Amino acid sequence: MNNKKIKAGITVFPGSNCDADVYRVLNDVFDLSASFIWHKDKIKDLNGYDFIVIPGGFSYGDYLRSGALAARSPVMEYIKDYAYKGGIVLGICNGFQILLEAGLLRGVMLANDSLKFECKDVYLKTLNAETPFTCALKKDSLLKMPIAHHDGNYFAEKKTIEGLNDKNAVIFKYCDENGDITDISNPNGSMHNIAGISNENANIMGLMPHPERSSEKILGSEDGGYIFKSIIKYIRER
Amino acid sequence: MDKENVKKNDTKKTEKLFGLSVEEYNKISDLLGHEPDAFELGIFSAMWSEHCSYKSSKVYLKTLPTEGDKVLIGPGENAGVVDFGDGDVLVFKMESHNHPSFIEPFQGSATGVGGIMRDIFTMGARPVANLNSLRFGSFSHPRTPYYLSEVVKGIGFYGNCMGVPTVGGEVVFDECYNDNILVNAFTIGIAKKDGIFLSSKCEEGNIVVYVGSSTGMDGIHGATMASEEFDLKKNKKRSTVQVGDPFTEKLLLEACLEAMEKKLIVSIQDMGAAGLTSSSFEMADSSGKGMIINLDAVPLRTSEITPVEMMLSESQERMLLACGRDKFDELKAVFDKWGLNCVEVGEVIKEKEIRFFYKSKPYKTLSVDTVVNGPEYKRPVKKPDYLNSVKPLNISNYKMPENFNDIAFKIITHPNIASKKSVFTQYDYTIGTATIVPPGFSAAVLRVNDSGGGKKGFLLNANGNSKYTYLDPFTGGALAVTECARNITACGGYPAAITDCLNFASPEDPEVMWQFVNALEGIKSAALKLNTPVISGNVSFYNETAKKDGGKTTVHKIYPTPVIGMLGFIDDVEKAVTPYFKSEGDEIYILGRLSGNLGGSLYMDLEYGNFMQKPLEIDLDYEVRLQNCLRSLINKGFLKSASDISEGGIFVSLAESAITCPNQTLGFAVNYDTLRSGVRIDSFLFSEFEQAFIISIDKKLSGPQKTAVSEICNEYGIKLEKIGYVKKDVMKINDKIDLKSDKIKEGYFSVI
Repeated sequence: MNNKKIKAGITVFPGSNCDADVYRVLNDVFDLSASFIWHKDKIKDLNGYDFIVIPGGFSYGDYLRSGALAARSPVMEYIKDYAYKGGIVLGICNGFQILLEAGLLRGVMLANDSLKFECKDVYLKTLNAETPFTCALKKDSLLKMPIAHHDGNYFAEKKTIEGLNDKNAVIFKYCDENGDITDISNPNGSMHNIAGISNENANIMGLMPHPERSSEKILGSEDGGYIFKSIIKYIRER
Repeated sequence: MDKENVKKNDTKKTEKLFGLSVEEYNKISDLLGHEPDAFELGIFSAMWSEHCSYKSSKVYLKTLPTEGDKVLIGPGENAGVVDFGDGDVLVFKMESHNHPSFIEPFQGSATGVGGIMRDIFTMGARPVANLNSLRFGSFSHPRTPYYLSEVVKGIGFYGNCMGVPTVGGEVVFDECYNDNILVNAFTIGIAKKDGIFLSSKCEEGNIVVYVGSSTGMDGIHGATMASEEFDLKKNKKRSTVQVGDPFTEKLLLEACLEAMEKKLIVSIQDMGAAGLTSSSFEMADSSGKGMIINLDAVPLRTSEITPVEMMLSESQERMLLACGRDKFDELKAVFDKWGLNCVEVGEVIKEKEIRFFYKSKPYKTLSVDTVVNGPEYKRPVKKPDYLNSVKPLNISNYKMPENFNDIAFKIITHPNIASKKSVFTQYDYTIGTATIVPPGFSAAVLRVNDSGGGKKGFLLNANGNSKYTYLDPFTGGALAVTECARNITACGGYPAAITDCLNFASPEDPEVMWQFVNALEGIKSAALKLNTPVISGNVSFYNETAKKDGGKTTVHKIYPTPVIGMLGFIDDVEKAVTPYFKSEGDEIYILGRLSGNLGGSLYMDLEYGNFMQKPLEIDLDYEVRLQNCLRSLINKGFLKSASDISEGGIFVSLAESAITCPNQTLGFAVNYDTLRSGVRIDSFLFSEFEQAFIISIDKKLSGPQKTAVSEICNEYGIKLEKIGYVKKDVMKINDKIDLKSDKIKEGYFSVI
């Protein structure tokens, strides 16, 4: 790719509420050309976008189950097409839940084991640094990012977990500040401390913590910025 | 209703009158020229309720300072507006939702948060932060865990879904709230100066439009319920509590702001207390107009609803607005996009009356003035008897404790002192990417993302001290304002304006009214001196409950609880100072003066079981100098931390400064010369709300820089006294306190 600005699409469902934050960070912090995709927009072809972000929030109020209704929204059909063709899709928080509900990623999200909404900083350990979302990182890199969710307790059957492990598709795990993956550093009871996973081809990633809230020093951490830097690097170099 | 019977007056009759007094009922009959029917009675009872009419407080609220160079809109609209420079304005208000939250804590607190956010976006402002001030019964009361967990869940449920960060507030436990918890919710929003919308702009010929959720049977008589004390049958009042749907409110927010941006709205008011009644009458009144309201057009959840129930329903997530007839189609398209009702329900007319139509026929016509100009009382006032026994404390009459480590630990782990982290981590405080200093410290500091790369920001704080207000209402009122200002100044901010939420027992009790009047005087004095005008607010009376105590019924009243929400400004958020120590070896100073007055303190309560003493009075002139001095030191970059001295005293300030530092556990070694100062060591450690700050300064500060610090203090006439150093891991004060920081930290963070 040349110097043309990278184009990002940000989906907006009724109840999305991290859309504006992602928009601002991509445009203002990383100088990309990001725009919104309204859930009813009939964009048949998302190929004009270099990548898609499904941001966090409470799509459709999270009624029924977190992400369940959004996953069946018309725009998701276009996103599925885009993803099956190898397009890069990042789902953050509720976006992760939507990807699971849409079947683009495997597993489900249960309520946090505290049964409470949890908003706090966590540390993440990078397990796979060879994906579009992590290529600006090194294996085992530690990232500090905030979580803010009620249903972030990742669960999948044994076979699925084995499949994820085989394909190096567990991208991030919750850990402590020393990088040790411990029970106490697991903020929500997530299986094996899983915080982020990808599909087999690693072009779709779901992540519970919020990289857009940790992309500027003044907010206490720039670590989340590495996710976006990785995507940019990957697109520029491909 | 039989007027003669009513006139004979017995207390049972008042219940039938929906909270109206017999005198009020008779006045309404005279104004109407006939006995009110159910519809009229419903409307009057809501609009003349204490909650909507401020009939007992209005006469005093008028005396508050409401003007200032930065105030664009003061009390009277949905919220107050302050100029933030560069074409931006900040819109904020705090409101109580006490009664519903006690009846049904989850929905009560959720809809409290929803209601206050609606007040803000009604004005055209996007909500950017929430605070809340909560009061629960004694920490050991069996019902307290239930209320705490449900209220916090309710607040999170609504605020988190709306995508508005909850960045701070207070959680206080006291026996006096066992039967009346308090939930005060604050929201601030940001708007462009030319993008403010008001309820007073209706023009003749505008159509009246109902937007948002349909009207159901919830919250009927909510305003009346909130204007009464509780009795033994509070569970029967559950139907008066509204049910919240934050998802719909999020859609309503986006739809309203989009319609406003497109200039499709002339005038707008949210349907809060007394729903369609207050929104229609108040909009008509403030615009000097009238309305036709067609009740057949009101979107309904049930066909079982009667006209008066439609008018009184407090179903949430609804707005009433006026728009030009030519704009309606465009307006409807916006609300259609968000999947919300947008229905023409009437028209603005010249005559100042509301003409209701029902089943396609004229139904009732009511004069706007008659309904809106409710009674105004100057209720009897009497100094409470108990205050005669509140005397200045002479601490020398009390024997010094043997073991200061024990009492220090008891204080730092007291529920009112211990960390509220487990509460605020249930709120999303990072959404919006604007929270620079999160909850848990002095004041929340937020940046503004659309300020064109500028570094300006604002600070928020909410505070109230009911125990001190009980012991000395004037001082308590003044302290609420001063304490907010201290927290804002300690971060390097300038106090700018306040909103007040005044929670009291029944105004019909002259002693309560005395507390109210004096607390308000205190607020007024401090607001004037600190130059923080009151731009919005709310009064909640009748926070009391009749209870059976061993056969006889007694009334439990809350302590008078004025709560202040304050906005401050800061030029550069990167220069904001946090209260915790930064590194080992830094020097610790007291900036200001110590009275050593332990009157009313937690120490007196815990150590001697008696806090009924006069608390420290605030010297407001000194306070202004002190805060200016501190701000000047911070602005020049000399301070590494600054913390005020609030509940629990200097020991708590020092300990919190040591253990709230992220990533490391610090401590301190402090030596205070009690002989020279003549202040007893317990007075030094535990006297509260001193006019002083604990600050820390880099040990490597050069000679000339140290001189500059002294010069600033001299310039303001403020004493600066070095008391020790920041250390690692241990807390030492004279030969009295020797504690491990880890142990204190563990206790502090594990109580709640």
